[in-house]
Amino acid sequence: MFYRLSGVHHTRYETARQLWPIPADRWQVWILLALALGAPLYMADLYLTSYMLPWLVWSAAALSLTLLMGVAGQLHFGFAAVMAIGAYTSIHIARAGWPFEIALIGAGLTAAVIGCVFGAAALRVKGLYLVMATLAMQYLVDWVIINVPAISGGAQATLQTPDVTFLFVPMQGDTALYYGALLWAVIVTVLVLNIKRTSFGRALVAVRDKDYAASIIGVNSFKYKLLAFFTSSFLGGVSGAVLAFCYYQAVTPEQFGFNVSIQLVAMVLVGGLGSVIGAYLGAGFVLLAPIFLTNAMAYAAIQGWLTVSSNLLAHIPLMAYGALIIGFLLFEPLGLAKIYDNIRKYFLVWPFRHSGS
Amino acid sequence: MDSTDQTTDRATALACEQVTRRFGGLTALKEIDLSMPQGEILGLVGPNGSGKTTLVNAVTGFYPPQDGRILFEGQAINHLKPYQVATYGIARTFQNVALFKGMSVLDNILLGRHIFMRPSALASLFYWWWAQKEEVAHRQKVEEIIDLLQLESVRDEPVDVIPLGVQKRVELARALAAEPRFLILDEPMAGMNQEEKEYMVRFILDAQEALDLTILLIEHHMDVVTAICDRVVVLNNGEKIAEGTAREAIKDPAVVAAYIGKRRDAA
Repeated sequence: MFYRLSGVHHTRYETARQLWPIPADRWQVWILLALALGAPLYMADLYLTSYMLPWLVWSAAALSLTLLMGVAGQLHFGFAAVMAIGAYTSIHIARAGWPFEIALIGAGLTAAVIGCVFGAAALRVKGLYLVMATLAMQYLVDWVIINVPAISGGAQATLQTPDVTFLFVPMQGDTALYYGALLWAVIVTVLVLNIKRTSFGRALVAVRDKDYAASIIGVNSFKYKLLAFFTSSFLGGVSGAVLAFCYYQAVTPEQFGFNVSIQLVAMVLVGGLGSVIGAYLGAGFVLLAPIFLTNAMAYAAIQGWLTVSSNLLAHIPLMAYGALIIGFLLFEPLGLAKIYDNIRKYFLVWPFRHSGS
Repeated sequence: MDSTDQTTDRATALACEQVTRRFGGLTALKEIDLSMPQGEILGLVGPNGSGKTTLVNAVTGFYPPQDGRILFEGQAINHLKPYQVATYGIARTFQNVALFKGMSVLDNILLGRHIFMRPSALASLFYWWWAQKEEVAHRQKVEEIIDLLQLESVRDEPVDVIPLGVQKRVELARALAAEPRFLILDEPMAGMNQEEKEYMVRFILDAQEALDLTILLIEHHMDVVTAICDRVVVLNNGEKIAEGTAREAIKDPAVVAAYIGKRRDAA
């Protein structure tokens, strides 16, 4: 009913293969885009800069990772290191006086090249061993950043991002930073959506599903795994740079530690592997759930409904958060994207229970 | 009908010369000689474990032979990787259906066009200016194959929900999408009922006629082999024990012995 299918007849392959063949989906996307574009008008600065902006950047990062983990099926547990490479590269390029645009591309390329070097070594192994190899990348990159003063500026140092302009727009003030993050999120979203419907994405999925069947139709699986690492690391590197410039406005090594890698994996898993909307839902869930749980706990404690020490209070949300992830893996392994899909399918034929055919 | 006479003057499509493949102490293929003229349908038969699939895997680069040469249209292909073999115009299907479960029927067949496409992330980013034209052109080719194999009704279904018989047909469609000159079918009729088998035979013959294919067919159903194969090659324990038309091969004492066993008393 809401997603009206009757009267939708595609007579050309171009329209049949567009991103959202059903008009109702297209309207939703336009409305969401309008809401996102208009956010600075109706949203308080606090919410804009501390909820919307990080959510968009983390969604872009989760999308980069879901391209590798979901679409191409290569597990990566060191993605925060990729983002760190991007963030530090962009800051050093920008500090050297180069334009911000070049800093972003440099961040992506550096992250992609280093990611590929590790990828090439790691791709000789599969599954759990790949997880271990990418974990090694996380610790190696962390160690290098902390211990090379030329990169981090010293073990405990914080590097401030310099003032930059992007496409002649000064990146200062909440609104400009927000639009910067939004632009990047839109670019990554369009890219991942398009990859999934073109030959590149099909080749990646083929390698993920059955590598021997992929090879017999001419897909060089090593090349495509490496391309997946390259593309994903490029996007991850730029996401790291955008995170540094638009949100943190400074970088320290701790911002890209191992726990951040796990958080990214959680975003991808909770959202749903390989799903674009899942990356947004997963990032929102992982960012908001701890905040929500902390507030709820604090409120309950203040009201006197439960008596807990402040020490325990700080840890309960973390425990609940872990339990939620386990719950997702057990009960809805395809993540929030699947829940969304179920709801959408229900309304596809609502008020009826089944479609005719 | 002796079809060998018709095909002797044709160019050779595939030639195996003394192909040997060992797995540790086991010799899976022992000095196999094989020559297929263009346009032939060759049946490859033999008991379980006789080396039929190993020979196909040797031709397609999965198990490169340790000794001997494999020539396709005069070029040696025994050192190639499977993904390189595809570009020579060789396509195959697998004994156990090897479709990509995460994708629709259409996307599976589109993947068959991979060797003609130029996939890249950049082309995907600028889809509307760069990739769309290519996607649509190949979609048209795929629709021709969908027509040929009558897959219209399942076009948009995920491959794991359609029946096995149709899955085998989708796999054939994916192989045909690469516009091969040489097609290897590894038990395309395994697990099918009589009606499905008849359909499959019809589709294979249609495809051969439409695309001018040379076909190497591994099959256990002797009725099918007798009906459509110009010649058969019988393998047993990695050795070629008989070659000729299906009717001749079935009567060959070595073949009878391989399948049924030898009489203990020769009386």
